Amino acid sequence: MAARPLLWLLPIALVLGTVYVIPVADVVRLSFSDATLLRPAESYGLSGYAAMLEARDLGVVLRNTVVFTVASVVGLQLAGLLVALLVARGDRRGLPGMTALRTIVLAAWVVPGVANGIIWQTLFSEAPFGAINSTLALIGLPRVAWLSDPEMAMVSAVLANVWQGTAFSMVVFYAARRAIDPRLYEAAEVDGARPFARFVYITLPQLKGAILVNTVLVTIQTLNTFDSILALTGGGPGRATEVLSLHIFNRVFYNYDLGGGSALALVLVAISTALTLVYIALLGRGRT
Amino acid sequence: MTLRLSTSVAAIALTAAPLAAQDLITRDRVGLPDAPNAMSFRLTAYDLYSSDLEMRAAFEALFTEFIEARPDWRIDTQLATDNIGEEQARMLEQARAGRGPDCAMIDSSQLATFKAAGVLAPMNDHWAEEEIADLFPFVREAVTDADGNLVAWWWFTDLRVLYRDTAVVPEAPQTWDELEAAAVAASEAGLEGILFNGARWEGTTFDWLGNFWAAGGELVDEDGRPVFGEGENREAFLEALGYYRSLVESGAAPGRVTTINNYDEFNAAAAAGTAAMFVGGNWQYGQLAGTLSEERFADWAVSELPGPTAEDRATGTGGWTIAALSDDPEKVQLCAEMVKEIYSGAGNAVQGLLPTSAAQYETYDAFEGPQFDLFAEALVNGRPRPGAAIYPEISNQIQILMGDVLSGAAEPEAALDAAFEASLAAYERL
Repeated sequence: MAARPLLWLLPIALVLGTVYVIPVADVVRLSFSDATLLRPAESYGLSGYAAMLEARDLGVVLRNTVVFTVASVVGLQLAGLLVALLVARGDRRGLPGMTALRTIVLAAWVVPGVANGIIWQTLFSEAPFGAINSTLALIGLPRVAWLSDPEMAMVSAVLANVWQGTAFSMVVFYAARRAIDPRLYEAAEVDGARPFARFVYITLPQLKGAILVNTVLVTIQTLNTFDSILALTGGGPGRATEVLSLHIFNRVFYNYDLGGGSALALVLVAISTALTLVYIALLGRGRT
Repeated sequence: MTLRLSTSVAAIALTAAPLAAQDLITRDRVGLPDAPNAMSFRLTAYDLYSSDLEMRAAFEALFTEFIEARPDWRIDTQLATDNIGEEQARMLEQARAGRGPDCAMIDSSQLATFKAAGVLAPMNDHWAEEEIADLFPFVREAVTDADGNLVAWWWFTDLRVLYRDTAVVPEAPQTWDELEAAAVAASEAGLEGILFNGARWEGTTFDWLGNFWAAGGELVDEDGRPVFGEGENREAFLEALGYYRSLVESGAAPGRVTTINNYDEFNAAAAAGTAAMFVGGNWQYGQLAGTLSEERFADWAVSELPGPTAEDRATGTGGWTIAALSDDPEKVQLCAEMVKEIYSGAGNAVQGLLPTSAAQYETYDAFEGPQFDLFAEALVNGRPRPGAAIYPEISNQIQILMGDVLSGAAEPEAALDAAFEASLAAYERL
């Protein structure tokens, strides 16, 4: 059996080939074409890529993508780490409700992106009866232009994304935290190390691998996020929250530009692939 | 003869039909599962599968009667998603690849795209010439292709109107200036003066276009090329855009209009008593009647959209069409018969949706009432969206521009130049 691994890999290779490779190959073909949703390709060349580079909106979209991705990844790491450490500490002390806490955090993860966007749109509503603003007003704080102010709209989109994605980071960090040898903490306590010192000198170094892997995974995940933004802001106001994945969607389904949209999609694929290679390299280093 | 059809259909629905409907109508089928012939039909979720039980029952009765008369047929229903742009683009792609439904509801704004792609089957044989001649002119033009073929039936239309709380704004504003003055006064009294769609969605463009047209602008020329950023059209565009910008800058409209992407927001504001006026669709009249108490509803009135002057008015007219996308003449015939027997006329009356031919207003008593007189009057100034394949991208650019200008992120002139340039570039690639 070991001598003939290809036979055993064939089914999964067929499935992956059908589901992933063929569509990606078609996207590559379309990216070099002038195809639109209204007509098939009539010529092949680099016009789609040229139009992509010439478009004056691409700079804004890429900047939005970088801001959204970096802010989300930082937020996801911090929130996930915080919740994971909280749950691990609760477990260690035998506090009741830790399972419920984990379940509540995980519940956000299973909410579909579109539903997540709608939930936060309702919460961020700037109507006189909007949920968060009404609460702020009740305690004497000023109302916030969550979605109508272009800069706050990006903050709101990041908050919604972090709320949904924290569970994944929490799972990764919780598993890694549970794997840390408790004798390290016992020794540190004997030496008189305070909690902050234990966190900095034991927890963080031990979680380094998990942090690196999680960074790559949530970056890929965030780069591909568009459904929650679509439901939350639609990319607006203006283009204030239009990220690359949403821009590709608009390019194909409003502009009907299959060629240009495919070229942009390949840029996204290239970024995600590069990050995946980093992830694989990190995993390999972890094993050696 | 005046038919009391909506009442009788509802009565049938609530009495005799349910038993039959259980057998003949499921979530993905109308007719018997083993019927020898099948036609696929993609429809929206507002009639046969409406969440409004009374509405659903009425359409179940209509469909049951229709399919019982054709026992050899089964209609395989496909429910469309409510993301209209994406849904219609996907359906077009499927139709081009020969995998589309046999019969489908097509948004009137997207009909030109389907016509341009050549995926619609002519349905001339199924309507009399008089019936086609009785369609409103803008409807007839839209559903006819270059060869004079009838390629779809536009079964209901709608229009944009101004709703106002007469307790706050007693007189209907006739001009943009009058509306702004009334809205500023209302906002000084602690209300949101005027609400309108301003977020990234089609409603933003469509509701605003009436102002652009009233100012004398045109989006595209006869060849479908964008022209809204040049010559007199540019001036009209900046004038109409300046009107909306001024509403926000003066406080007549709240800054949150750039987040409104749903007509339900207006109903909610009316129910909460927080808004004095809003630009909405004619269909919201019935929704308000059902949402507000009788006493509160009596305060709300509807009027034509104001214009730059009282004489220059325009309003966007939308609605849905049904078309056949099959080469099979029998399926095309079934599709046409379904339109005639279920949707056009009877369906209009059940849903209170405005018919597209004058005769139907006389036929059904569902269209009696002062609001329908106002709608019919305003329809004289009705304008459909241009039947050009570039329209969805123009709309997308206007949505972006509106958000930028109303949020203060861009000046109108620069935003218009960017939108026009992007639209032209997209047009070249089509």
